[in-house]
Amino acid sequence: MSRRGALITLLVTLAVAFGLLALTQITGTTPRLGLDLQGGFSVVLEAPPGTDPAVLDQAVEVMRRRIEALGSVQEPEIAVVGDRTVEVQLPGVTDRERALDAVGTTGQLEFRQVLSISPIPGVSPLFYEAAASTTTTTTTIPVSTTTVPGGTASTTTSPTTTTSSPTTSTTLAGATTTTIPTDPKEGVVLPAGVTWCDEVDQPGCVDVTTGLTPNPDPDLDAYLATDFQTGGGIMYHTGPARILGSDLKGAQAQFQGTSSVAGEWIVLLEFTETGGERFTQVTKELAAFPVGDPRRQFAIVLDKVVQSAPALNADISPTTGIAGGTAVITLGSSSDQESEASDLAVVLRYGALPVAFTQSTVESVSATLGEDSLSAGLIAGFIGLALVAVAMVLYYRVLGLLNVIGLVVSGVLTLVIFSVLGAWQGVTLTLASVAGIIVGVGVSADSYVVYFERIKEEVHGGRSLRSAVDHGFKQAIRTILTADTVSIAGAILLFFLAIGSVKGFALALLITTIFDILVAVFYTRPAVSLLAYTRLGDGGRFSIRGATGRPTEAAE
Amino acid sequence: MSLWHDLYHGDTRFDFFGNRRRWFALSGVIIAVSLFALIFLRLELSVDFRGGTQIEFANPNDVALASVRELVDGAGIGSAKVQQVGGSGIRVQTTQLDAATEDELVAALADLLGVDPADASRQSVGPTFGSQVTRSAVRALIVFLIVIALYMAWRLEWKMAGAAIFALIHDLIFTSGIYALTGLEVTPATVIAILTILGYSLYDTVVVFDKLQENERERGDRHTYGAIVNMSMNQVLMRSINTSLISLLPIGSLLVVGSFLLGATTLREFALALFIGVATSIYSSIFLAAPLVGMWKERESHWIKTRHRLERRGVAEEFAVHETAGRPGAASAPSVSGAVPRPPRKRQKGPQR
Repeated sequence: MSRRGALITLLVTLAVAFGLLALTQITGTTPRLGLDLQGGFSVVLEAPPGTDPAVLDQAVEVMRRRIEALGSVQEPEIAVVGDRTVEVQLPGVTDRERALDAVGTTGQLEFRQVLSISPIPGVSPLFYEAAASTTTTTTTIPVSTTTVPGGTASTTTSPTTTTSSPTTSTTLAGATTTTIPTDPKEGVVLPAGVTWCDEVDQPGCVDVTTGLTPNPDPDLDAYLATDFQTGGGIMYHTGPARILGSDLKGAQAQFQGTSSVAGEWIVLLEFTETGGERFTQVTKELAAFPVGDPRRQFAIVLDKVVQSAPALNADISPTTGIAGGTAVITLGSSSDQESEASDLAVVLRYGALPVAFTQSTVESVSATLGEDSLSAGLIAGFIGLALVAVAMVLYYRVLGLLNVIGLVVSGVLTLVIFSVLGAWQGVTLTLASVAGIIVGVGVSADSYVVYFERIKEEVHGGRSLRSAVDHGFKQAIRTILTADTVSIAGAILLFFLAIGSVKGFALALLITTIFDILVAVFYTRPAVSLLAYTRLGDGGRFSIRGATGRPTEAAE
Repeated sequence: MSLWHDLYHGDTRFDFFGNRRRWFALSGVIIAVSLFALIFLRLELSVDFRGGTQIEFANPNDVALASVRELVDGAGIGSAKVQQVGGSGIRVQTTQLDAATEDELVAALADLLGVDPADASRQSVGPTFGSQVTRSAVRALIVFLIVIALYMAWRLEWKMAGAAIFALIHDLIFTSGIYALTGLEVTPATVIAILTILGYSLYDTVVVFDKLQENERERGDRHTYGAIVNMSMNQVLMRSINTSLISLLPIGSLLVVGSFLLGATTLREFALALFIGVATSIYSSIFLAAPLVGMWKERESHWIKTRHRLERRGVAEEFAVHETAGRPGAASAPSVSGAVPRPPRKRQKGPQR
């Protein structure tokens, strides 16, 4: 290897490694920690034998929606494992009951009549009505700044802006930055049967801070939102549930177009016999309200999240309603109508989990234990690496020092790839992957040893130092490639065949082994080549020649 | 010269091949004891494999293990196991409990230990999940072995592949034998560790065989196969010692750190299997796999001829094999190890290319 080539390769390698590290640091990308390292909750659910894989996928989709509705879960991980098992991992979740409910129980789909809509996203109609009814304009509304979408309190995004009085909305907009009043219940009148959760905690009660119903009762009014995860979105006051998921027979997304009018996506609903009768009755009642009144709308609610709130068309009369057991929801103004239609159809069809699961494993790791594991892993890793560094420097002198820098380069690359995989692919770093990385360090250190021993052998064989360094690498890389192929093949097989934590281990081993080869070619070789030209190559006990145990040039 | 000096300079002359019967006997005893332990003592499987409920708490107030046991026994949930884990942690294992009973037990334990119930690590496993994981791991293992054997047969040769798989099985039996003997619990972490040993054992054997093949190619006509085994093993000895040291250092630190910190229980379980396995792999690749290949190859007609030819000429070999079990007619130069004159070093005759 020429000196120039070696220098360029070395500099590029170091620049790439540390450049990537800097990039992840700047963008704040860090590895995603697994359950066992940060605490959380995991469930393994088993479907009955012979379950259709497509049905499993639908179940996973429903679970995902529900977990999002739980809020406070950063990055849930739900995956189909094997042929009939679903693994759910919820890092950071401590409330076991709620989490189990979310993934285990068969959900509830309801059609409720809309009674009123809050004109301000993120504000419960309950508080809005109370504020609007008071005469003073200084009334503040408990809006938490985080719940207003888009970071503005502008009411122009709300579809019903035109109905609100201008003075009130100005006050409300300003309220986002003011303090929350001491008593949000002041001036609020709850519907019959509905209680405050902090007074009587029962299904259908209203949360004092959000003004929403965390656990709706089908027989009572409910305050619901389109986005439960952030507690934001458009918020509705709805009546009791009128139609349940069991009243629906099917739902389909379809494209409907005519030659004169641009086509549009619709969702076709089909009710059961009793469901159709109920739907006719409900639509008769709704059609009694004038067009534009929110009460002409019904909310499709899945697990307390309002999925859609279509209004009845103007041509539906209060005497007939919608009869015949079918209905069409037209998605007019949406920008991405196709996906919206199919999403809604999925919700309507599979509001409930399409299959009954049994819980085969339930596990929760406390956050403190997770942190302990992480710090223990880090401490052990650092101590281990420090010991390796000392041993290598003592034995291989300046080459040992190169090895330590090389391990740092590999470490940096591993950190970068786990950060990127975490952000893009949702790959988590678990104890098993830590184990894989530690083994990888062993494999990687071995490559150095193989190479360094080669150099020694070549020097003993009578070669000059520079030639030994070059020739030694060509011999060593063959061994390294053969041995690493075994590791890589093993890691790939394990990754695809095994389940659970073994997968994480295999991935970590695969990554570190690939880096081992890359580092050997793009770092170790040029670095050692360059070193052979300096005084650290060929003079003194600390040099490469010193490490070979042949302090002087062999007689030739 | 001291042993250290010889090691450092790669000048050792150990007769690995000649002493093979000793190593085989040692390995035979190890395997026999391990198999005995596996059959009669059985592996202690963790909750993950047999199903059950496991609750772990930190024990900051140093509540005595006996009082925890008393509480658990009094709860009327049948047979339960109470252990101390990590530096100061309590682990309770029972048969699988229903959710309500589990919650009650957790609350009672938290109360006794004076900690928050939310700080519990809990695990409830149905009996089928463990078997599913195990089945997938075993399937992966079999496919892995076949693929790797094919690869080694292609890259090296099939006798080497056979010897490597043999060494691997030796390592696996030994490691699981240790678990059966000591009664340590086999957890998913242990399974991962054993898979690691698998990879490591093969990796190590491949490095050794690679050297063997290289020497066979370069000097096959001037030495018996046994001598080539000896030569190769002496050449890779330092590398093996260094590599094992380097691999064992981080694993050892995991082991030590894991014994003091509760959170590292899994790490410690993992590190223990790994420590045993890696150490065994290094032993088996040099003392078992390579002599095995040597024995196998010595029977090939090409190597028999080479041996007879060298015997006729009476060449004193650098890496002479001294048969310990005095087989008649076996190659043996009447010299004591160490007294063998060192032949000229390779390439001293001048540049070869």
